[in-house]
Amino acid sequence: MVGFLTTIFNWVQGFLGLPATSLADALPWWDILWAFVYFVGAIILLIINVIMLIWIERRAAGFFQERVGPNRVGPFGLLQTINDTIKLLGKEWIMPAAADKLVYLIAPLLIVTVSVTMYGLLPYGPGITPVTLNVGILFFLAISSVNTLSVLMAGWGSNNKYSLLGGMRTVAQIISYEIPMALSIIGIVMITGSLDLGTIASAQSHVWNVFVQPVAFVIFVISALAELTKSPFDMTEAEQEFVAGYHTEYSGIRFTLFFMGEYANLFSMSALGVVLFFGGANGPFLPPWVWFIGKTYVFILFMLWIRWTFLRIRVDKMMKFNWKILIPISLANLLLTGVGIKIWQAATGAIRW
Amino acid sequence: MYGLGLLKGLGVSMKRFWMPKITEKYPEVQPKLPERSKGSFQYNKDSCTSCELCSMACPNGVIKVEWHKDESGKKRLDRYRMNLGHCLFCGLCVEACPTTPKSIDFKRDFALGCWRKEDIYRVWTKEWPAAESAPDPAAPASPSAPAQGGN
Repeated sequence: MVGFLTTIFNWVQGFLGLPATSLADALPWWDILWAFVYFVGAIILLIINVIMLIWIERRAAGFFQERVGPNRVGPFGLLQTINDTIKLLGKEWIMPAAADKLVYLIAPLLIVTVSVTMYGLLPYGPGITPVTLNVGILFFLAISSVNTLSVLMAGWGSNNKYSLLGGMRTVAQIISYEIPMALSIIGIVMITGSLDLGTIASAQSHVWNVFVQPVAFVIFVISALAELTKSPFDMTEAEQEFVAGYHTEYSGIRFTLFFMGEYANLFSMSALGVVLFFGGANGPFLPPWVWFIGKTYVFILFMLWIRWTFLRIRVDKMMKFNWKILIPISLANLLLTGVGIKIWQAATGAIRW
Repeated sequence: MYGLGLLKGLGVSMKRFWMPKITEKYPEVQPKLPERSKGSFQYNKDSCTSCELCSMACPNGVIKVEWHKDESGKKRLDRYRMNLGHCLFCGLCVEACPTTPKSIDFKRDFALGCWRKEDIYRVWTKEWPAAESAPDPAAPASPSAPAQGGN
């Protein structure tokens, strides 16, 4: 990523005739080509995932409620999502007259951009990580926070009380729940000694982190559900309270983009969980990327199971739960992890008392 | 202990996941109807005595029994007509029927949708030997054979 950006800057500098390396040296065709390939790959993965995920979600929701779910379009209803997407694309774009137009239009684009960026960071296997960053997990958390911004932009730009309330709730919820999430991740970073997602995944070749850090795993799942604004934390689009929250005023392709972003985030957050707690792409017999995708989908099914079981909790109780229970527990977990690491190091002779 | 209720809830929903589904895929798979479900009517013209009790029991005047008397003064059935457009499916006619087996009874065929107004009528005619048959009464347009439900 950094190298790629440097080459772009070099190329622009050279193009403008600024004192830099010569133009011939600065033309990084090979890098640009590979960056483009990775970008297209991430986009294709995102679209296929979103199509599959929406189908899985609706089908699993049906099964959990003793229904059948979509089963009309295509075999087992697999083409239902494509059908719905085409329907949505054909719909009219309606923009509120009093909307803050720029903010209103940028918000759906931003949410998809963020999703694509997160897809670029995931280690799908050794050698197929689109962008290897040595601060990968930090970047992942930082980028996923930008979702908050796009949701708030959508809520503000719509100039609608329901949208604004939904957006405000999202900001409060996501920002609060990022703290226990980051704290639960820090324990793993302490054990692994690296912020690189690929290193964290490959460090679990013997034992998965979920057995080493079970408390952190529970905290991670709870805060990931809250980050994704999935039930039981779906206050942002609580139909009974606000119409649809921040995307009340969106229609047609812009609504599609929001929907895509939501499900793309579901995949990337589950993939992060797999990398952190379930050994990433490690696994016998099958190729690594199959293990990665398979584990991620199992994790997603687990999230859907939680989603379709529990009720939405009240806003104040959600915040109370976060600040008074989750954060203290995650801090205690962090302390115990640090003490445990030191004891382990002393026991194995890595350090002296 | 906190959290046991949550685990129990998860167990319930996972059990539901694997249970057979309640949804019936109706047009492809016919539903399993209860034994005594009320659908359309079946008429047994051999056991009917043309007593018209069903017609009198009907609150909406759905049933019209047409008959004639033969040489021995016995009632002979010509035509049994039901206008299902006015029918409530209350079953009073079935209750009123004195014969065994019931001459008018429910059957399970519930798909009564039809495209033409004439198909609402259920008409059963009984053919007698030519010497005994009554003159055809002026009846509204009716299909030659009773439409057995369906569309």
